[in-house]
Amino acid sequence: MASISSFAMPSEAPTYSFAAAQSASGQPRQHGFYPYTDNGGSTLGISGDSFTILAGDTRSTSGYNINTRYAPKLFKLGGSGPNHEGSKIVLSVVGFAADGNALQERLDTIVKMYKYQHGKDISVHACAQRLSHILYNKRFFPYYVHAILGGIDEEGKGALYSYDPVGSYEREQCRAAGAAASLIMPFLDNQVNLKNQYDPNSGPGLEKVQRVPKPLDRTTVEEIVRDAFTSAVERHIEVGDGLQMMIITKDGIEEVYTPLKQD
Amino acid sequence: MEVLLGITGKDYCIIAASKAAMRGATILKASDDKTRSLNKNTLMAYSGEAGDTVNFAEYIQANIQLYSMRNASDLSPYEVSSFVRSELAKALRSRNPYNVNLLLGGFDSIKEKPELYWIDYLASSAKVPYAAHGYAQYYCLSLLDKHHHPDIDFEQGMKILRMCTDELKRRLPIDFKGVVVKVIDKDGVRELEYIDDKQILAP
Amino acid sequence: MDALVSRYSRPAFQNEGYSKEDQQQALQDVAPPLSLNFALPPVASAASWLRAMTDDHSNPNVPIKIAHGTTTLAFRFKGGIIVATDSRATAGNWIASQTVKKVIEINPMLLGTMAGGAADCQYWLAYLGMQCRLHELRQKRRISVAAASKILANLVYSYKGMGLSMGTMCAGVTPTEGPALYYIDSDGTRLAGNLFCVGSGQTFAYGVLDAEYKYELEDEEALELGRRSILAATHRDAYSGGYINLYHVKESGWVKHGFTDTNPVFWETKLKKGEFSNVTANLD
Repeated sequence: MASISSFAMPSEAPTYSFAAAQSASGQPRQHGFYPYTDNGGSTLGISGDSFTILAGDTRSTSGYNINTRYAPKLFKLGGSGPNHEGSKIVLSVVGFAADGNALQERLDTIVKMYKYQHGKDISVHACAQRLSHILYNKRFFPYYVHAILGGIDEEGKGALYSYDPVGSYEREQCRAAGAAASLIMPFLDNQVNLKNQYDPNSGPGLEKVQRVPKPLDRTTVEEIVRDAFTSAVERHIEVGDGLQMMIITKDGIEEVYTPLKQD
Repeated sequence: MEVLLGITGKDYCIIAASKAAMRGATILKASDDKTRSLNKNTLMAYSGEAGDTVNFAEYIQANIQLYSMRNASDLSPYEVSSFVRSELAKALRSRNPYNVNLLLGGFDSIKEKPELYWIDYLASSAKVPYAAHGYAQYYCLSLLDKHHHPDIDFEQGMKILRMCTDELKRRLPIDFKGVVVKVIDKDGVRELEYIDDKQILAP
Repeated sequence: MDALVSRYSRPAFQNEGYSKEDQQQALQDVAPPLSLNFALPPVASAASWLRAMTDDHSNPNVPIKIAHGTTTLAFRFKGGIIVATDSRATAGNWIASQTVKKVIEINPMLLGTMAGGAADCQYWLAYLGMQCRLHELRQKRRISVAAASKILANLVYSYKGMGLSMGTMCAGVTPTEGPALYYIDSDGTRLAGNLFCVGSGQTFAYGVLDAEYKYELEDEEALELGRRSILAATHRDAYSGGYINLYHVKESGWVKHGFTDTNPVFWETKLKKGEFSNVTANLD
């Protein structure tokens, strides 16, 4: 019996050497574990003298499909009740929405726990550092997100922190993240930090004087944010549907929603 | 780990090429000359794949010399660079391309100006004031950016070359056995004695 | 019998909900302190999985692009130590930031530099700062640079093969050691030395620095040499750029010497000193 079954049909299955040759070829090996997807969208934050504005579109995509036209990427942290009343810190996350939600939940718990333990609100500075550590805690299994954190610092000035997926962070004046970051960020460099803008009255060559950026007022910043998003919608398929803006001042958070193009 | 360097100055062009001929982990020869003079006032230094280098250089040399004999006049460095580039580009699109990087140093006797062309195996050609190929690019270009000026005299040029070879001796993990140094000026091509026996260590 | 009575005389719901210990535990669970317990992916080889997800060098289309740092240098001289860096962070070809602080102020006496993974350097140098402070509190004296750098080297060595990427230098002046400079990388290498350049622009910085470096440099000369070496690297290495971040470490602690935009410095160097002669303004 054994001798019969060893006479297998020649074409039945690939021979051992054939299989071995295939696995030894230079093709990259596919990993079975892929827990990420990109849900598209873009976020942006600008800090001013006494406020910080965070904004994000509300479209959620997977590939060329639109999952929903309203999936907020902006989250209030801390505060009381399900509506986070009295909150003064906002987290925006773009990338993989599930990771974003997990991150938001974690940081929200920490911010609330901080208040219960210490009897005061966490400072943005401390919250920013904490977020960095949460992200780095998953250094070997990263959150697939670009986070931006906004609030008001201890001097009452607008504070904005941006993060890479594993927690390197930096305080900045403005930052765009997500799918249309490469479209929005150069615009922000030019309009907020006045990059490549020179005083027209200064001379040529070495006498050319770079314009000095100064903190912008709230209406100007809101205009810049709107322009950034309406433009991004025109040129990026993953951005659109609605613009959610949160304006953080010493008095709290004001939330504004405006529709964007739905196509 | 072959080194090619070129520096132009006020009225000269210096070309330096490493003396080591390497195959794998072996140095076959420590007095190799990786240059060929093409006519009275152009010199070509080459590096790249074994076999290709000398073959290509001598093919170019023969053709440039043939031109000089037929026409009783030399091609200018710019004309030579165009010819070299076109041959390299032709070969690149053939069945067996040459894998050769080149520096072409010359002196234009009409304009009375030195010229240096940086040419790589993909047949990019650029006229530059100073150039390097291989690892020398990484260590020497920044140094040349700082110390080179277009109107430097010969002594200063040699001083900068010395800085470059010293830096390479200090930082390159493999000994390239010093350099052959040749100068091209209004009198043609000549080889210089280049004493390079001082040991240099990283600080 | 008494035991039995006491056992059943307690209200039945007493053990429901959280005990004091449980509450404490719950607090710690949601809020892990700066810790060494990292989440790992549920796969056989965490390191190769991480590489497949984040190593944009071998595969430009990876989902997660981690910000990378670039040209940093530090050298010892008679007046102390100069530390200088550029400020560009790149994720693939995208310039993620032009304003990164790649000199990390571990404490008022100690500086660290950042090349490789930005988060790795930031996190572990902050951790090192914490360890240095603990050393001060326990031993009642300041930690030596040798010891501090060894803490970091041992730490990263324990994560070898996990995918950390950092090339860092620790610079400090202590009464026992004088000016001390150490190079530490994520392979576990730790070297003491006079002069190091780290990052993709290292060779360009070495070129300029080696040519004029000597131990007997004056403070001003040393600062200028550090600045010029970074400028050279930002000019030739596309992954370096932004601003020049310059520090001088002295016995009294470190002093910051500005965060200067490279662009005006470049044009000033070119037009006033006649350097960078390969850059032509006119097309002919």
